[in-house]
Order: sequence, then C-alpha cells, then structure tokens
Amino acid sequence: MNAVSAPETIDPQESAVICRNIHKRFGGRKVLDDVSLSIPKGAVLGLIGSNGAGKTTLMRILVGLLMPESGSAMLLGEPALQMTDASKTRLGYVPQQPDALNWMTVESMLQFVGSFYPRWDSEYMWNCLMRWNIPPSQGLAKLSPGERQRVALIRVLASCPELLILDEPASALDPVARRDFLREIALRAGEAGMTVLFSTHIVSDLERVASHVCFLHEGRLLLDTAMDDLKETHARLSLSREAAVGLSKPLPGEIARRRRPDGGVSIVLTRRGLAPWPSAATASGGTLEAMNLEDLFIEITDQPGAAWFLK
Amino acid sequence: MESDELLIQPSSAEPIYRQIAQQLRRLIASGRLSPGEEIPSVRDVAGSHAINPMTVSRAYGQLEAEGLLERRRGKGMVVATQRGRAQSTDRRLQQLQPQLDELARQARELGLSAESVLERLRVLLEADQ
Repeated sequence: MNAVSAPETIDPQESAVICRNIHKRFGGRKVLDDVSLSIPKGAVLGLIGSNGAGKTTLMRILVGLLMPESGSAMLLGEPALQMTDASKTRLGYVPQQPDALNWMTVESMLQFVGSFYPRWDSEYMWNCLMRWNIPPSQGLAKLSPGERQRVALIRVLASCPELLILDEPASALDPVARRDFLREIALRAGEAGMTVLFSTHIVSDLERVASHVCFLHEGRLLLDTAMDDLKETHARLSLSREAAVGLSKPLPGEIARRRRPDGGVSIVLTRRGLAPWPSAATASGGTLEAMNLEDLFIEITDQPGAAWFLK
Repeated sequence: MESDELLIQPSSAEPIYRQIAQQLRRLIASGRLSPGEEIPSVRDVAGSHAINPMTVSRAYGQLEAEGLLERRRGKGMVVATQRGRAQSTDRRLQQLQPQLDELARQARELGLSAESVLERLRVLLEADQ
C-alpha cells in the first residue's frame, strides 16, 4: 500500500488527497519539483524533510492557500482552489505559526470559530482546555507559542475534521500535551477513519502514529512507503574502505550510497517483502543492519544529488 | 495483562507491529499468558502507547493467523486454548535466535571470550528470578 502510487491506480473515492505533478518556484528557486502523492482515507501520512525542503509550501498548496505553477491538487474530491464552504468544514488545517484572530480571548475565538462547524464538539474543547492548562479568558496575543499551538490544535480537533493537515504540529508542545495529541490523532484515524497529513522533523512522533511516510528533500519526494514495510524492506550495508573496493558497481536493490568520513561506505538496500538480501551484500564482508526512520532519512538525503533514485 | 506491560520502542529498527507480536509470542510460549486469558483491546494498547490502532490490529491478526490468539464473541481477543500451552524449550529458544545471533556477532567484534559473555548472561538471567 503506497501513499504515492501511479496516477492510474488511484481511486478518487478511496483517497482524501490526490495531487499530481506539482511544481512551484519562488524567485527562480525550485521549491517543489514534480510532486505527486495520494493519501488513502484513514491513513496517517508523515511528511519528513529538513528545513527548507518544501513541506510548508506543499501543504499550503494542498489546502488552497497557494497556487502551484503547474499540477493539480484535489481534497475530499474537490479541487483545492475551489472548495465549497461545506467541504471546508470537513477540513482542518493548522499552520506552523497560528496567529489568526489574535485580538480575541481563547474562549471567544473558539466559540466564534466553532459556530461555523456543524460537528463542533464543545465538550472535547472544554476538556482539552482544562487538561492542557489553557486559561479560557486569556487573550490569544498573550499566550506563549506553545499555548498558542495547543489552542490551534484544540480548535482543529474540536471541529471533527475528516481530513487534518498539520504543519509541524508538535514542535512547541511539552511531552504530556504531545503524547495526548498523538494519541488523539492515532485513535481518530484508526477508529473514525480520519485522514491525517502532518509534517515534522521530529521523527519519533511519526514512528508512533504514522501509517505511511514520505521524505521530501530539495523539493522532491524521495520515498513513500507504508511505515511497517519501510523498516522491513530497507537495510544498511556498512563496508570498510578495503571491503568497499570490490563493490564499485551498484548492488541489486541499491538505492543510495555514501562515503563515510572514515573512508568506509554505507549502502542502502531495498528488497521486496521479506525476500532474502542479495548474496553479494551478505558475502561482501560488511555488516547488514536494519535501520530506524532517522537513520534512513540521513542515509538517503545526506549525499550530493540525493534525488537521483526517485522511486 | 495490562496494555502498558508491553514495551514499545518507536525508534527501534523493528516495526512496532512486530515488537507487539514478538512479546505476545514470548509471553504465550512461556505460559505467562495462559490459554483463554484475555489480552488488552486494540484501543487500549493504541491509546496507552499513542500508536496507530492499525498497527496493533496487524500484530493481533498475525497471531490469530498463527493460531496463538482467538477472537471470542463479546470478549475480544484471548489466548488460544489449543496451542496456548507452554511450548517446548526448543521452540522457545528458536524465538530468541535473532537476538542470540546478534549478541554473538557483537561479542566476536569486541573480541570477548564465550566464557565471559556467558557468565554475564547467567548473572542477568538469574538476577531476574
């Protein structure tokens, strides 16, 4: 089950988000370069990328706040730039620095915003405000960045969206609020079928709740897989400088290779399912080891011209 | 059994569904989970560890397919009554094989003798009893 699949295999009924061949440039600099992805309903897709990789731009295009140069984005079955008001109530979006309606108090803002949403859950809202220690009568402008982010998450979760798009949602949360928030996302996705797209550079958050993972690097999507498969189908072969001499040609299933500072070589291999690793790898004299998400991200992006092995 | 008795390490290289399945296999093999005993619901495990419920379902589904768990009406998942009894020493050792291989590899890399590693291991195993 890939989050990004060939366009002809995508069923619009089964996908909450479909975008195709998105290009975007700012001042001549390519920010997004031919990005296509689809997110099946009920999936939690984690978008990992370093700062400046294009995550925020992609999300702004998806929610219709920014026009791509070319390419198309569909959300909940409608073009992102022409969503009806009714569909917008099924969408939740939290930007990285939420600062709308700053002159209002927490309570008045939440009640004002809530009046636009037919499925607004006041009980959830009050519970969360208490649990996360937010004084309801406080002015939004006087909140700390962490509190401001918590209020934004309460706002979006209380609206009970079918599709939730979050830009670095947990970056300013303390550990307790972060765990609460991850639990809420995981349970709503798994039980109510809510679809979630969230970007982060905190990889461990993603390893808990994501069902799918994408790497965005220098404006291109480098990898997209179901989370469980990702760890089972990728491994790192580490070779000493001497052992690497005999392996100048790419190995079967090789997707990335980099030279380490000590002169040795790290190779990332993929396989289908749980098929055995290629014998050339096991016989090379190097060590073959499974990787977590962070290792994999570094191996794949930390090399010149990392985008060469697209898909 | 409580859901927080499971140890979940999200940043491990081993997928979470496999961590769950392996732990339950070990608990069943050792007899610490007995036939007919109820295991925590998918929601409990997902909620207490803030992980995706689909991941937990996948682990349970796999164990059900292996015949180690059974779905009971109105009760959720229970340890299977047929195969739930403790397995032979061989079968249980088999489940430790990957970890043993890895331990042996690292011990060789560090140039440690079999005796010194076994001695440490014995201390660890006996301390826990």
